[in-house]
Amino acid sequence: MIWLRMHAHAALEALGRLARQPVASALSILVLAIAIALPVVAAVALRSVGAAAASMDTEPHVNVYLELAATDADARRVEHALRAHPDAARVRFVPREQALAELKSTTHLAEILAALERNPLPHAFTVRVRTTAADRVADMRAQWMKLPGVEQVQADFEWSQRLAGWSAFAGRALWGGWALLGAAVAFIVGHLIRLQVVTRRQEIEVSQLVGATAADVRRPFLYHGMAQGLLAGALAVGLAAAVAGWVGLELQALANPHAFEFKILFIDTSEALAILAAGAGLGLVGAWFAVSREMRRFSGAREGNLLPV
Amino acid sequence: MIQFSAVAKRYPGGQEALRGVTLEIAAGEMVAVTGRSGAGKSTLLKLAAGIERASSGTVVVSGQNLGALGETALAVLRRRIGFVFQDHKLLYDRNCFENVVLPLRIAGFAREEAARRVRAALDKVGLLARERALPVALSGGEQQRLCIARAIVNRPMMLVADEPTGNLDADYARAIVELFASFHQLGVTVLLSTHDEASVAGLGCRRVGLAGGTLA
Repeated sequence: MIWLRMHAHAALEALGRLARQPVASALSILVLAIAIALPVVAAVALRSVGAAAASMDTEPHVNVYLELAATDADARRVEHALRAHPDAARVRFVPREQALAELKSTTHLAEILAALERNPLPHAFTVRVRTTAADRVADMRAQWMKLPGVEQVQADFEWSQRLAGWSAFAGRALWGGWALLGAAVAFIVGHLIRLQVVTRRQEIEVSQLVGATAADVRRPFLYHGMAQGLLAGALAVGLAAAVAGWVGLELQALANPHAFEFKILFIDTSEALAILAAGAGLGLVGAWFAVSREMRRFSGAREGNLLPV
Repeated sequence: MIQFSAVAKRYPGGQEALRGVTLEIAAGEMVAVTGRSGAGKSTLLKLAAGIERASSGTVVVSGQNLGALGETALAVLRRRIGFVFQDHKLLYDRNCFENVVLPLRIAGFAREEAARRVRAALDKVGLLARERALPVALSGGEQQRLCIARAIVNRPMMLVADEPTGNLDADYARAIVELFASFHQLGVTVLLSTHDEASVAGLGCRRVGLAGGTLA
């Protein structure tokens, strides 16, 4: 019961101290919240980009477009040449009528396309290739461009593969970011708590003289650090949500005309709670180190005396 | 209650404050440690209260060898000893009530019980009407009494006072000493130091003289 009362008293004292200095407390918490929000925003961006990249077709393929005037016989000759190539794994013929139908069904251009007098799309082939090596793809393109009736050869899979690669790299880099900014939060809290400890040095010393143990001295500061971290974590989730919401609206406005869908995937409740817990934990760790360090310094300043008399 | 056996205390830098002090103080006894400034009175009191550790020899308080106690156990022991400091050690940004309640907060007392005890202690030293006053608004004698209120609020087994009459005029000094005598009559062990033997004359307490760090 006494133990519980001492903890309750320390927690209330910490909250009271935050409330008694509202501006300073708010600014400190805001700084911490920004530090926590940065990796949260980065994680949300990465997750959203990763999801978009995953939805794209990243299997290596080359599109071969024929001239508009190409006949069915031309198409058969090209198909034969493509299938004979050692790097072609699979060849799919897309007749110009099918291409038009797909375009009408997957974009918002149906009305415009319907207004056209004739089909503007050529016959095409989608060739799944066995390699992504730049020199071999370049050879392939050069050979196929020479085929009679071929208008254009496009190998446009590289960017999506690169995007997926960058996305994976950014995921790994994000862990480094979490660690760095987590350390920054602990250091900031530690610094703020250190200032508190120095300001209250006399009170600490008198408390020790009348029977406070190191744990008694440390306790309110730990609650203070933990409360700052917790509140900063909550504010960081709010800030990240606001940024994600704003970016989502902006992207939606940009994406609609091109029929490109990009969804912001925000953190879920359990992740938000984990951020709050991490904030509180970092605040606790920062406060612990700061109080312990300052108490050691106080002891050192007494030059061997047990207590400051 | 308190046993000093061949106690010596050396401070960093080589200053020897006490040498070979052997002394026994019984429970419920009132002892005045007298001597000139620098005789080692304050050091003796700090050793008895567990505020400092002896360099050699043993100090036993209430059956506990202080040299063998860890920091936490020593801090807990200090809760049972009321110490009145020569320079008061008051918190000047806290009012009288908040200064006196500090040991009770540390000991984990419930708010209502703590308030009751604080008011009783302030009443005992005649400062109940000033509970909301800041220490700077008090006279030197009142600050000394406030320090005594903080020392007794925990109902200690032992009261230790370092020069409690040091900066007071004769009338105030007499009143303070009589206050300690009244606690002694209630059965509390009282150990106080003074350079002014006249202030404890007539109290009937044992006097222990110190000179140059040894018992005179």
